[in-house]
Amino acid sequence: MDVNKIRRDFPALNDKETVYFDSACQSLRPQVVLDAMNEYYQHFPACSGRSMHHFAAKVTQKVEDARISLIKFLNAAKKEEIVFTRNTTEGINLVANTLFFKPGDVILITDKEHNSNLIPWQKLCRQKGTILKIVPTHPDGTFDLDAYTKLLDPRVRLVSFGHTSNLDGVTIPAAEIIKLAHQNGSLVMLDAAQSAPHRQLNVRNLDVDFFAFSGHKLMGPSGTGVLYAKYKLLEEMEPFMVGGDTVASSTYESADFLPPPEKFEAGLQDYAGIIGLGAAVEYLQKIGFNAIQKHELELNQAITVGIRAIPGLKFIGPADPALRGGITTFYIDGIDSHRIALMLDQMRGIMCRSGQHCVHSWFHSRGITGSVRASAYIYNTLEEAQLLVDHLIKIRKVL
Amino acid sequence: MFCIVAFIVLSILGIFSAANRRLAKEAMDCVFRRITFRPCNTGFDEKMKAKILGKVIMRSEKLASFINKRFEILAWAFFVIGMAALVMSVRGLVLFYTTGSCNGANSEAFCVFDPTGANNDVSDLGGTCPVVPKTIENLTLEGVDVQSFPTRYANGTGKKIIFIGCYSCDYSRATYPLITKLAKRYNTPLAYLEYPVKLHSDYLNKVGYCAYQQEPYKYYWLFNDAIFAAEKSQIEDQSFIVQTLADLGFDMPKLQACIADPATTTVVESQMEQIRGTNFYGTPTVFIGDEVFVGPKPYRVYAIALKGFFYWLRK
Repeated sequence: MDVNKIRRDFPALNDKETVYFDSACQSLRPQVVLDAMNEYYQHFPACSGRSMHHFAAKVTQKVEDARISLIKFLNAAKKEEIVFTRNTTEGINLVANTLFFKPGDVILITDKEHNSNLIPWQKLCRQKGTILKIVPTHPDGTFDLDAYTKLLDPRVRLVSFGHTSNLDGVTIPAAEIIKLAHQNGSLVMLDAAQSAPHRQLNVRNLDVDFFAFSGHKLMGPSGTGVLYAKYKLLEEMEPFMVGGDTVASSTYESADFLPPPEKFEAGLQDYAGIIGLGAAVEYLQKIGFNAIQKHELELNQAITVGIRAIPGLKFIGPADPALRGGITTFYIDGIDSHRIALMLDQMRGIMCRSGQHCVHSWFHSRGITGSVRASAYIYNTLEEAQLLVDHLIKIRKVL
Repeated sequence: MFCIVAFIVLSILGIFSAANRRLAKEAMDCVFRRITFRPCNTGFDEKMKAKILGKVIMRSEKLASFINKRFEILAWAFFVIGMAALVMSVRGLVLFYTTGSCNGANSEAFCVFDPTGANNDVSDLGGTCPVVPKTIENLTLEGVDVQSFPTRYANGTGKKIIFIGCYSCDYSRATYPLITKLAKRYNTPLAYLEYPVKLHSDYLNKVGYCAYQQEPYKYYWLFNDAIFAAEKSQIEDQSFIVQTLADLGFDMPKLQACIADPATTTVVESQMEQIRGTNFYGTPTVFIGDEVFVGPKPYRVYAIALKGFFYWLRK
């Protein structure tokens, strides 16, 4: 993989002072994605699937092409299993609001879920009397299969885990988890916001029931996302939001809903975004996930080795960078994480995330105020990793 | 403490930049929380500290370390300096308003509101007298028989204005209309003490004296007003003076006789001696009550000395 060649695809990297290590929050976009979006606005800015004119035909075709790209990206069985959303959060909320739950049903999540995979379930518990149970992870952040197995019982209706943690980059053993859940009669949802951009996905091999991810973390446009779900489940689920484009017909008294995915895609969609998302997954597939993972590991190793000797620095997650994907999260006792991140930006334009990364529950339970997260992607170089290390060492000397 | 310092500094910088205005608003929010005894949880101070350290560390790690360790102390120091500067600025502003100089009455030290020092310029006595130290401490009216000098609105009330001026001096010419306007506005006695700083206007001194002797009420003052209103080149021309006096209806032969009379010379020299006895060092010098102003001050300065800070409210 030629990183320098890849970097030329990203207009945001034209400024040599830009060192972007915040891809876990939002990735940069290659020109091909921007072009795909611009093409829509410049050449066929119309509605999909409604009008009969040639603009409409073109945009309908492009949106369907994007859906097919996503089938290939996920290895889904059919395009009807791909529901376009605005982001992972919307995908999870869609399931929480439309899957049939009854009082006493148990939902399992881990102890380090993003708020997007915590708050919807808390709300569901309040509204429908379901029970939310937390599966503790090992002290190093890796998944505790024993603890999970102990909590699996017939009342567990849904297991909803983050596939790869945005906190520490740890990826859970999804296949084993799903197998155990299905043996228990439970459904499984994976929050794939952090895994979809970095690893080869195969929803059929995983046999996962629901799989949600965002476009903005995998080089796609902001405000785009996908919920994959098995078709049978989608058929059973009631629509989440309703209105235009979700029905075949309506009377003053009732409506005749369209089959999935249309019944879940209410209102005029972000066609430019969807087309851009299709371009993004194609771009990623061209590069290849083996190369992506190999590169991220090299970067993570360089950063980990470089900073682990810094006095007072503690990693969040396993010590082995191979278990953390492209994410390195750390904190230094007594030093505000925001200060470190701001200084990195001020000193050399190095952009990292600081704070609690929307995993407040994990930080509160451990009495940690915040951390700095450096998340690498394919456009980061080893030189940038070294810059990050050098500047962190310098900051530690001063603070 | 840092929030307060930042608020002051950023508010000033905010005049010139929108980015600083945004930061100033953040600082204000932080200050507001502090003064209402709530923690400043806006992250503003942390953000600014990081920004400052981020800049400094690239130049000197030692300096960055110093700032980091003593950030609060430095903030306090800046606060104290800032407050002192603010107090000094307000004081300077008030002094400028009341005396025409930021540093107190008649001070020639630099004043940002009067950068050229125009309010303290004087027509120096120069070669006409021994060099007089430029200090107002020695200025006094003791030994001056003010009654013997021309006085306008003699029946007026309140503090008396004593104006030592010079017909041909620019600063006196600038000040005279202000002083006469003030005296008229508040019906205040105004004594005019002519001291010809420039030798070629010596003649006018005697003319003024004799004119006052002949008609001390209306016409002398009309003559005085006319001389101050005329071009400088005109008042150096004796024929213009004669014509002006004639036009005002003065008895010219009598006036000429008075001017030529050695007794007039004696009296005028005596008056000049009295004026020199005030230890003044240039014109205009204006005494209003216990205060004295050297140099051409703005109208408000004389008015405040006469009627107080809110002079415009007084009748």
